[in-house]
Amino acid sequence: MAQLIISVGREFGSGGRVIAEALAKRFDIPLYDRHLITEISEKTGMTAEEVEKYNEAPKVRILSRRVNGYSNSIEDNIAEMQFDFIRKKAESGESFVVVGRCAETKLRDFKSLVSLFILGDMEAKVQRVMKVYEIDEEDAKRFIEKKDKKRKRYHNYHCSGSWGDSRIYDLTINSTRLGIDKTIDILEQYIRERMAAE
Amino acid sequence: MAAAQIFAVIIFVAMFILIVMDKIERHIVTLGCGLLTLVVVFGICMRSGTAIWDTLAIKGFVTKDFWYQVTESESKGINWATIIFIAGMMVMVEGMAKAGFFRWLCMRIAYLVKCKTIPIFITFMVMSAVLSMFIDSITVILFLAAVTVELAQLLKFNPIPMILSEVFCANLGGSATMCGDPPNIIVGTSLGLSFFDFLTNTGLIAGICLVVSVVFFYFAFRKELVTEESGSVDMSKFPKPSEAITNKRDFAVSSVIFGLAVILLITHASTHLTVATIGLFIAVITLIANAKHIPELLKKVDYKTLLFFIGLFVVVAGLEETGILKLIADFIGKISGGNIMLMITIILWLSAIASAFVDNIPFAATMVPIIQSLSATAGVDLHTLAWALSIGTDIGGSATPIGASANVVGTSVAAKNGYPIGWGRYCSKLAPATVIVLAISTVYLFVRYL
Repeated sequence: MAQLIISVGREFGSGGRVIAEALAKRFDIPLYDRHLITEISEKTGMTAEEVEKYNEAPKVRILSRRVNGYSNSIEDNIAEMQFDFIRKKAESGESFVVVGRCAETKLRDFKSLVSLFILGDMEAKVQRVMKVYEIDEEDAKRFIEKKDKKRKRYHNYHCSGSWGDSRIYDLTINSTRLGIDKTIDILEQYIRERMAAE
Repeated sequence: MAAAQIFAVIIFVAMFILIVMDKIERHIVTLGCGLLTLVVVFGICMRSGTAIWDTLAIKGFVTKDFWYQVTESESKGINWATIIFIAGMMVMVEGMAKAGFFRWLCMRIAYLVKCKTIPIFITFMVMSAVLSMFIDSITVILFLAAVTVELAQLLKFNPIPMILSEVFCANLGGSATMCGDPPNIIVGTSLGLSFFDFLTNTGLIAGICLVVSVVFFYFAFRKELVTEESGSVDMSKFPKPSEAITNKRDFAVSSVIFGLAVILLITHASTHLTVATIGLFIAVITLIANAKHIPELLKKVDYKTLLFFIGLFVVVAGLEETGILKLIADFIGKISGGNIMLMITIILWLSAIASAFVDNIPFAATMVPIIQSLSATAGVDLHTLAWALSIGTDIGGSATPIGASANVVGTSVAAKNGYPIGWGRYCSKLAPATVIVLAISTVYLFVRYL
């Protein structure tokens, strides 16, 4: 099989991670999400909790400085290690699905990349987060807003394009319209068409 | 003039904010702000072609003083001597790194002390300070921190205390000479000071502080430096120093060039060769010696830093030409009430506090005209103020992880190898060490110069 890289950007609560897992299964390729944390933790000797703390987190700008590509920010260093990891995987010819990590921008030079962004209606995202995290509506809404703000800051710091802007992805899709399962079907079909076209 | 002053201040403040925000590359920020200064401040507000011409300082190249200087002279506008010297040293350092010089030196010293943790800790601190007297601290820390991590993994000790101590000593060593830290090059070339002037003034302070720092860090970190494996070290597992040398001929040549650079710098007050001449000469002989690799070496020169300096000098010239820096100098003179002791304290501690949080290069470039003006109006010895400024900007940067380039590089190398260093961890030991060194320096300045 020719190389296939699927990047999945997502709004919190949109079901992006579930969709990424399903796509990985349907194409029988590995999924890099939590795996990226354990990989970095094994490589550096840091605990998974330590890596998780700084994972996909924006740095505090006023407390950070960059010199000749080196940064004192732990968030920056963890992010760069993850970018390096997915880039090396891509260069090795491996097929995989990657969730977040600015992959649509960091891997855009690879022809085999299919970049997706999953969004959802706030009401549906709130329902989903309430169910998964067992929290009330107000907390769920606040949680979503906080998470999305963090992801946006992280993405927009490391990339020139804006997080969720349809112009930097091959396909952006609202998972609320057809539901998660149908969305997966549509995306699978789109990816197969793309593979056939190349 | 009021409009020119307002625009000069707005441009300067905007430049600082944009540098801190780190969204746009800093050389683009300073060049953009420099261009605005030339057009808006000098062109539109002041309508002064002379101000533009003086700031660009191109005519300096054709004067004999720029290359061969018998008497002290001060420079204005873009400090081309600083830029040429830094560029020259960048070429030389690339040549040395390519030949494996730094890695060889680190490994050689580790071998000399039989790879024992505490002796490595102490010798690496001293080596960091000594190398930083001649080479930029980024390069020194890049190699030292990498070797420290490697040794830490082999000897099974925590490398964080060692990296932090090396970073501190690199900044301290940088303060000892004219070429050790960019603020010193700016202060030195702007005020016509020599390498020897620095060595016998800030160098002495740095030497005393180095001894104190080694003792301080030993007691602060000795418990953390205990290795898991006690007893004698099996040195057969360690990489041999000679393995670091990529090419024996290049290694020998780069060592000779480095030695030559040191000799030229130490003797430049008697040979009358300026740092611009030395920088250019060292770059040329490095390129001749590495004739096959000229494009590779030139490609590795950090042009962005050089452009950053050019833009910065223009923006600072905007403040100088419009009289803003004189107003600040007068203000410092006024609040100190003519008390020289207070003036020195303000310059040193203000520089130190500012450098702990913002880039010390723009700060030093801004402060040079201020101390010149302060010296002229308050009758204080300019050199004493220059030493206070150099010590403050060089040492103050050690207090926080963002205060100096060496800190950023050291913490980054540590984090990438699995040893993240947050603000708390960093400041708990280095901030007190910085305060101690600054206090010693303040007392030294009072005793020696007043």
